[in-house]
Amino acid sequence: MYPGLGRDETTTFEPYSAFDIPADLRELHGRYDVEATARRVRNFRYAEEWMMMAMGGWLATVPEMPVKTGLGKIIWEGAKAADEFGKRLPELRCGRKAVNESVASNEGFAGFIQDVTEPERPDLTIEKLAGVFDVLKPHLVEAYQKHMRETDAITDAPTVEILDEVVRKTERHIAWGREVLDRLCDTDAKRERRRKRVSELTATLRACGGVTGDIGDRDPGLH
Amino acid sequence: MKRFIEPNELARDSRFIRQDNNQATTLALLPDDVDKVVEMLEAFGPTIEQQVKGTAAEPLFDAYGPAFGLITLNQPLRPDDDAADTRLKLRMHGIFVGEIQALEGAGRSLWDFPDAPWEFKMNMARQCWDEARHVQTYEKLLEHVGGTVGMFPESTFLFDCACSDDPAMRVAGVNRSLEGLACDVFRDMIKWGEKTGDEVMRQAVDYVLADELTHVRFGSDWVKEFTKDDPERYKKAQEFRRQTDKQFSFGGARSAREDAAIPIAWEDRKDAGFTEEELQDLSDLGSEGPSRETMMEAARIMVERHRERRAKAAKEAAAGAGK
Ligand SMILES: [Fe+2]
Ligand SMILES: [Fe+2]
Repeated sequence: MYPGLGRDETTTFEPYSAFDIPADLRELHGRYDVEATARRVRNFRYAEEWMMMAMGGWLATVPEMPVKTGLGKIIWEGAKAADEFGKRLPELRCGRKAVNESVASNEGFAGFIQDVTEPERPDLTIEKLAGVFDVLKPHLVEAYQKHMRETDAITDAPTVEILDEVVRKTERHIAWGREVLDRLCDTDAKRERRRKRVSELTATLRACGGVTGDIGDRDPGLH
Repeated sequence: MKRFIEPNELARDSRFIRQDNNQATTLALLPDDVDKVVEMLEAFGPTIEQQVKGTAAEPLFDAYGPAFGLITLNQPLRPDDDAADTRLKLRMHGIFVGEIQALEGAGRSLWDFPDAPWEFKMNMARQCWDEARHVQTYEKLLEHVGGTVGMFPESTFLFDCACSDDPAMRVAGVNRSLEGLACDVFRDMIKWGEKTGDEVMRQAVDYVLADELTHVRFGSDWVKEFTKDDPERYKKAQEFRRQTDKQFSFGGARSAREDAAIPIAWEDRKDAGFTEEELQDLSDLGSEGPSRETMMEAARIMVERHRERRAKAAKEAAAGAGK
């Protein structure tokens, strides 16, 4: 049942392509080579790491008990996302020590993260949560989905797998955060605070090109 | 957002009230002398009365005066105790607010030490989720025993230990000392559940205890890691943990003695990286400060004085009304 050395010695098994069962329409070639993907993964890790650290800092300064307990799990899932991104880096020829590398795409994005993590007073839960759940996390979902769409789905599948899982969790975080925000913003004044925070942070994010620094004005994620 | 906050910056909703930390701190530092203990607690009397006013602890103050804390701490919690119900609520509430502060402490470790090793951050992030579940669990258990959030004042004494700006000290104080204490208290609550047939309590606390042991282990591992090339820093971290343990031994309430209100969970702690030597030290430490006998004698005197004062005030009021 193994092929021999000559044409007359082939097996009788049907010849299928690697993509026939089930039908697989993916094609080779994506927008990012190994180096570009590694750079982007470092950018993703930076965002996840700083976001979960900031939420850790906020646990003590938000008075709303369900926010304290709800953030606990989101912090852990953010840390796991950063960890998965880190573990991907040595696989992308970055060396074994690269597992801890978090790099901002540019100074603008580092500044944006500073802005997101800035609020600390206990009466600023709306500003804290709006920055993460109305702006940063939705932006990351867009960026992760963009990478999944544009990268080579066959050769870069391990990155796609990580992103797929992180997006699934992040969407749940966003749903939770928005439900909490809807409940907290129960007056016009509070709704206005949320709206103002979102519009300010979105402008900063747009100006720096987002988490990977290359997301332009025309990108739907930034509108 | 700044790094490092003070315990008075912990955000709470309007149900909570705070307790002065001085009393607990001073108690553990007192000599084994009945008169000194009485003198100190009497001095705190008006403050304590003020703090418990309007809370569920007010009836306890009415009955025992400023010594009610000694009675709740130094008498083991037994199902057939007269005040067992109130004391059970007091203990569950204490644990509940302790879990909130543990959650906050783990979170602050993420923010306060941005340059810490990644594995440390992973452990702290995991602890955030665990402590969040503990807060949820104990809110349910508090309800389960008929208590409500905010019924007793909250001491932020636990969070004090999370304020060290050295991560080695912080994990020594929080993860080894405080979480170690949690193991002792939780083992005691599991026993309570077994004694009273409270299966809900027994099982829930059993799971929480498993998490706490993991946190103590985080502490044991990270103190070693942070201080591995620095014996001076290791010594300082050990001393910090001892100091915290001493303050938390509640004048002998938690100790290796058979009649201690909160016995040391020796086996659990060994699993979590405490050495025999450290445990022996902890048990001797717990027995420093005023002995249980001293505390109980002081409490007896104070309860007597309190009742005399109340009786006199009542008599004067009656005489005044009769004129
Ligand atoms: Fe806990
Ligand atoms: Fe814990």
